[in-house]
Amino acid sequence: MLGLAGRLWPAWLSPAGIGVFLAGFALLYALPLVVPLTTYQHNLLSLVFMFVAAALAWNWLGGYVGQVSFGHAAMFGVGGFVAARLVLTVGLPFTLAWLAGGLVAGAFALAWGHPTLRLRGPYFSIATIGVGEATRLVLTYWEGFTGGSSGVSLPIVPGLKYSLYWYGLYLVAVVVAVSYAIRRSRLGLGLLAIKADVEAAADVGVAATFYQDVVLFLSGAVIGVAGGFYASYFSFIEPADMLGFDRSISFVLMAVIGGIGTVMGPVLGAIVFVIIQQLLLASYPQLYLGLYGALLVLVILFEPLGLSGLMLRLRRLARRR
Amino acid sequence: MELLVGLALSAVLLAVLYTTMAYGLGLIYGVLRVVNLTHGGVLMAGAYLGWWLYTRLGIDPYLAIPIVVAASFAFGVGLYVVLVRHLPRGAAGGVQSLLLLFGVWLMLRNGAYLLFTGNDQAIRTGYSTQALKLAGSSLSVNRIAVFGVAIVALAGLQLLLTRTYVGRAIRAVAQNPDSCTVVGIDVERIYVITFGLGTALAGTAGLLAATIFAFNPTFGAVELLKSFVIVVLGGLGNVIGTAAGALVLASVEVFAILFMPAYLTAAVGFVLLVVVLILRPGGLFGQRVLG
Repeated sequence: MLGLAGRLWPAWLSPAGIGVFLAGFALLYALPLVVPLTTYQHNLLSLVFMFVAAALAWNWLGGYVGQVSFGHAAMFGVGGFVAARLVLTVGLPFTLAWLAGGLVAGAFALAWGHPTLRLRGPYFSIATIGVGEATRLVLTYWEGFTGGSSGVSLPIVPGLKYSLYWYGLYLVAVVVAVSYAIRRSRLGLGLLAIKADVEAAADVGVAATFYQDVVLFLSGAVIGVAGGFYASYFSFIEPADMLGFDRSISFVLMAVIGGIGTVMGPVLGAIVFVIIQQLLLASYPQLYLGLYGALLVLVILFEPLGLSGLMLRLRRLARRR
Repeated sequence: MELLVGLALSAVLLAVLYTTMAYGLGLIYGVLRVVNLTHGGVLMAGAYLGWWLYTRLGIDPYLAIPIVVAASFAFGVGLYVVLVRHLPRGAAGGVQSLLLLFGVWLMLRNGAYLLFTGNDQAIRTGYSTQALKLAGSSLSVNRIAVFGVAIVALAGLQLLLTRTYVGRAIRAVAQNPDSCTVVGIDVERIYVITFGLGTALAGTAGLLAATIFAFNPTFGAVELLKSFVIVVLGGLGNVIGTAAGALVLASVEVFAILFMPAYLTAAVGFVLLVVVLILRPGGLFGQRVLG
């Protein structure tokens, strides 16, 4: 009996972990109901949730598999525009439109990624730049779908922007849970093996192609959902903003500066990214990218695990005292 | 027919500029096994340096070439000594150096925004709008000058690589750095020189491009991608292969105008990049190391 329960209950799922997760969720769920947040703070948190989810999803491919993508804006844009189109022309409710956008984005990621993932390391990264830019150009040209350079406006639904906070929280909760699950599951171990040496992994029976395709689809789908969420948040999207190279870069920066391959890293990275961007956007709209470039250089040179690595070090220091 | 000849001519002129643009990237990768994403930033910096020298000091862009070469060579050497030297190379460190040099590019871009704002700039000289009649089609004097300078630069580089001690050492290091130490080549010094040379070539290409195209701080991103396409098409570190790759890309871009809206021609290069990477990872003309 105990043996059966042991098999059904994954070893990594500790009661303490579940407790922390649920407590964090409840705290964030109740936060706007208890603390009188300003509209600005409330919306900023919704945006942070969206970017946390996107950074974690990028990290599944970039951190877990070690295939750094400079083209994830393609799925962000595809998800966003599919969701916007479904709301505008079919009249689908927002939540369904986001999910549909995510599915299409995931399928799109598979379509270009399945052949491209044979390339490793820098070669893959370079190919993804090409994919991202080609997608941007084609979607900008496809005016019937994206509205061209002038973009698409969504109907403003009263109260939607306010409730995006909780939708964003649900998204983050699911993505954080999946991030842990992937990390500790058979799939995650397979990904670790693939990251170390894809041929050796295949030799010992890891279905490398299938595993990578699964991760690619999941990563693309979540980024696509985030794109739809972003469209609802701003009620207006245009290809240059959704699909530009800067958008792809932002996912890379959040995950790498936070700590590539970890779960805490992309969360921290996304929070810091959004805050720095908001602080600098008003006075120096371009400065944040350069600042992040400098941070990137420092992280690569001194702390490969980024902010999360820094936190680990501090914790160890504190314990030693 | 006249149209076709005109297009073919402009494809050739463009291809030579593209060759200078891409060669530095291929050279650095061929010798150091580092994907130099700062390349895009140096293209942009070369363009701005030429523009600044022309508008502020009145130095003609073609006379400014030695200054730009020296400045970007020094930048490359500094970048190598301060940052790149400390990174792991090859397959294991590939992504790390990629990300680090990408960070440097972002900083360069940001510097350009702070110094020169995000507005479009162009180097407009007295002869910018003059044209020559050749084979029934008119060609801009400036484009021909760019062609000439690029040819001279590439030929000089080829001579350097094949006829001098340093050049032969560079090629030897590309083939096998360990054996080079045995025969007394200072490998570290060769790395510094190679990084400087590749960067100097990028700066020059940026200056040349700036006399033809308008640019702003984001200039260099598309050009970097095109350089990748060319290096991937032509194989590594081989002037002839790189030139062939550049000619393929330039022809595809120029002739695509006949079949599709001008806006989409840029996408052709990117699609080509991905397709070639997947089908022929060694380049269309095979993988030859600095032959």
